[in-house]
Amino acid sequence: MTLPQDGLWYKDAIIYQVHVRTFRDSNGDGIGDFRGLAEKLDYLQELGITALWLMPFFPSPLRDDGYDIADYRSVHPSYGTLDDFKSFLAAAHERGIRVIVEMVLNHTSDQHPWFQESRSSRDNPRRDWYVWSDTDAKYKGVRIIFLDTETSNWARDPVSKSYYWHRFFSHQPDLNYDNPEVREEMWSVMQFWLEMGVDGFRLDAVPYLIEREGTSCENLPETHAVLKELRSRVDKHFPGRMLLAEANQWPADLRPYFGNGDEFHMAFHFPVMPRMFMSVQLEDRKPIMDILQQTPAIPDQCQWCLFLRNHDELTLEMVTDIERDYMYDTYAGDKAMRLNLGIRRRLAPLLDNDRRRVELMTGMLMSLPGTPIIYYGDEIGMGDNVHLGDRNGVRTPMQWDGGWNAGFSAADPENLYSPLILNPVYGYTAVNVYSQKRSGHSLLAWMKRIISARKSTQVFGRGSIEFLHPANHRVLAYVRQLKNETVLVVNNLSSSAQAVELDLRRYKGNILVEMFGRNIFPRIGELPYLLTMGPYQFFWFRLRRI
Amino acid sequence: MDLLVGVPTHNNARTVGETVQGIRVGLLKYFPRERAVILNLDAGSKDSTREVVAAASINDVQRSADLYALRTLPCISMVYGDSPATEVALRTVLAAAELLRAKACAIVSPESTNITPDWMERLLRPVHRDNFDLVTPVYRRHKFDGLLLRNLIYPMTRALYAKRVREPYGVEFAFSGRFCSHLLEMQVWDHDAGGVGTELRMTIAAIAGGFRLYQTFLGTKPHLDRTADLVAAIRQTVGTLFWSAEPNFQYWSGNRGTESVPTSGAEYDLTTEPIRVNRKRLYQLFGSGVGELEPVLKSILSPQTLEEIQAIATLSEENFRYPHELWVKTAYEFASSYHKSVINRDHIIQALAPLYRGKVYTFLVENRDASGEEVEANVEDLCLTFERLKPYLLDLWNAGE
Repeated sequence: MTLPQDGLWYKDAIIYQVHVRTFRDSNGDGIGDFRGLAEKLDYLQELGITALWLMPFFPSPLRDDGYDIADYRSVHPSYGTLDDFKSFLAAAHERGIRVIVEMVLNHTSDQHPWFQESRSSRDNPRRDWYVWSDTDAKYKGVRIIFLDTETSNWARDPVSKSYYWHRFFSHQPDLNYDNPEVREEMWSVMQFWLEMGVDGFRLDAVPYLIEREGTSCENLPETHAVLKELRSRVDKHFPGRMLLAEANQWPADLRPYFGNGDEFHMAFHFPVMPRMFMSVQLEDRKPIMDILQQTPAIPDQCQWCLFLRNHDELTLEMVTDIERDYMYDTYAGDKAMRLNLGIRRRLAPLLDNDRRRVELMTGMLMSLPGTPIIYYGDEIGMGDNVHLGDRNGVRTPMQWDGGWNAGFSAADPENLYSPLILNPVYGYTAVNVYSQKRSGHSLLAWMKRIISARKSTQVFGRGSIEFLHPANHRVLAYVRQLKNETVLVVNNLSSSAQAVELDLRRYKGNILVEMFGRNIFPRIGELPYLLTMGPYQFFWFRLRRI
Repeated sequence: MDLLVGVPTHNNARTVGETVQGIRVGLLKYFPRERAVILNLDAGSKDSTREVVAAASINDVQRSADLYALRTLPCISMVYGDSPATEVALRTVLAAAELLRAKACAIVSPESTNITPDWMERLLRPVHRDNFDLVTPVYRRHKFDGLLLRNLIYPMTRALYAKRVREPYGVEFAFSGRFCSHLLEMQVWDHDAGGVGTELRMTIAAIAGGFRLYQTFLGTKPHLDRTADLVAAIRQTVGTLFWSAEPNFQYWSGNRGTESVPTSGAEYDLTTEPIRVNRKRLYQLFGSGVGELEPVLKSILSPQTLEEIQAIATLSEENFRYPHELWVKTAYEFASSYHKSVINRDHIIQALAPLYRGKVYTFLVENRDASGEEVEANVEDLCLTFERLKPYLLDLWNAGE
């Protein structure tokens, strides 16, 4: 089935982020694959998600979990074949689930044939496909992103006896986007997958495509020009497909990635994410409100992507030093949890496995303006293992049941690509899909309900937002509006019961209909509207004039 | 709440904005993670005081590398009456602090335009982080400033309560939630001290209650001419000191000597730039007071002390001196007479005013060309005289009991 390519499907989407390796192993080799992922599409359909974001599945030496790509037009043999992917894609589309593929534009693996050629000789036709220099003196002062492992953005190549530029690991040389051949080739790569039917790309590390002396080598106008060119080609040849930017920047610096609606369709709102965690811990709405009030308006057809956690560390790049220290102290007291400038923990452990806080954070994820992304496993409250190195602790096998290898694989446990989570709190015998499907009160059941509530109206994905300013700063309240639909969202960020009076005089005469139970709350009058809320409770109210 | 900062106001529109901003900056800089609130208690200001406070508090969205608010910093303004009443304002702060379960509270004068951000750290850190219960200020003063404090209140409080608290009634101070609860339970509010008497009562309550005291240096105290308010000032301070001696008799009668209070920054600091003081007027008021109040003074003072005072009242202006020992005996006899209510207590307090003027005249003359260290040595000498003669007070107090 070909899904309708209506222009703004991504605004209504509920995206589920998953690495094929982690989800389900169909052939017993200990590694998840596309056939296994296809087996679990019914689960995902039942959950209610409408789009899958697949992390890189291309051939790769896997020194950076697949973000070091060695072949852009194939599938890593551990995950299956290209035909397996095509079958999976068709099955996803049949269930109304779109597929977004991760595409790493900025760099390749040093094992990619392009780099092998490029390094072999200064005269090689692909020499200029990468950024070479005889010294490491160029682009001084440009920040290092992987602080824990890299000491420079230049690496000396012993083969060509010169330096190559890498913004990430040293085994990930940056492609040279000043070279039109590189741009043509990367468009050709994207075209390959678009013709197959993928619905969009999450483009990794886009701020770093172009370098210029005397700059930060990030967010340069020339980079935007490259991206605009790609977008125009997508629109021309594959209308309705979506481009999602991964650009970890302040909102004002992110804005250019939307252009005038002619660059990216979507971009991650990185700065709001740590502030959601901060607000819940501080029991104060200020961090969230501050960052959203500083967030610039974006073109109507564009969309922010919101997320709580993902495959990377919970990044603290886009916070102040005071905020970073606070986050480290409150969420990563054990230094083993800290990596680069972030915290490598999953959602449930970050929130101390407090169901109420998980629900509150998910409620905000689903109701703040943007498209929500759920990281695989967070729908059942999976835990993490900070001792697995790098960010592998948040990339452990999906926990399907309490049996052999958590139902992930028939392989011997020693052959799994990663150990399972075993402890009594988060281990697979305690936290798994099968157990949670048996209870109507499990986190999984609740996630289905909130996704359903979210999908019941377009106001969350497409509507405006207006913050209310009740005197009680422990309550975050806002009104979402789209045409005649108005939804009031009230969140108690505090661990204790709160009373809040809301100035709703603008909506006088409306009754409030609570969206989960569909019960009617008193009509709005002249006086401040009083709500009393339990710890971490939130309300979604539809306003109705009856 | 972790921190509560109270700012009592009455027609302070000219200065309070700067004060509130200083408080905000201090809280953001030194206590960025703490839950704090600024509480403005207004006594029915007729100018734009409350609007100025609100304007100084709005716009939480401040961003700079070293000044960033993690949390909302609310500023609540309320009217507690239609005229200034220090006691009511302070009690309201105490009640709010208890309601909010504030761990540390500070009071800042709305006229403190010399406030610097580190005032918040100096006032609140000893309470919030080091578990002290009352933090009193130490200021850099002009050598001729705070005369009542240096010539009577400080030395006598020190002698009675055995703690060297330089400013037992500062307009800026801080206290713990623990001490706050204690004060609310006490009957300290029975006596209408008014003005700074309330702060003095707090300090005495802290000492007598065994709470941990701390002193913190807050910089320069602007010189203010309060000579016109002398009787009111004596009523508030000396009246409170005398009144407090009764319920705390068991405490102060049993101790000897004095001990220092932990202090950050200077224990004292004096400036010596020239200022105009009308010494002649003081001398004249002393003399006329001694004469006109003789019947009253006869009821209060011992015959010997009165005779000595009358003798020095005959001296010429250039020879007139009110010696430390005579002054101390004067003060103690007044205290004892107050305790025994030999006449109306307010009359006793008022009768002290001319005698105090004589002592101030002596202080000004003796320290006219003195350095800061010399002035401080003079004050210390007076303090030691108060301590040495404390048994005299006890004898007076207990006579006829």
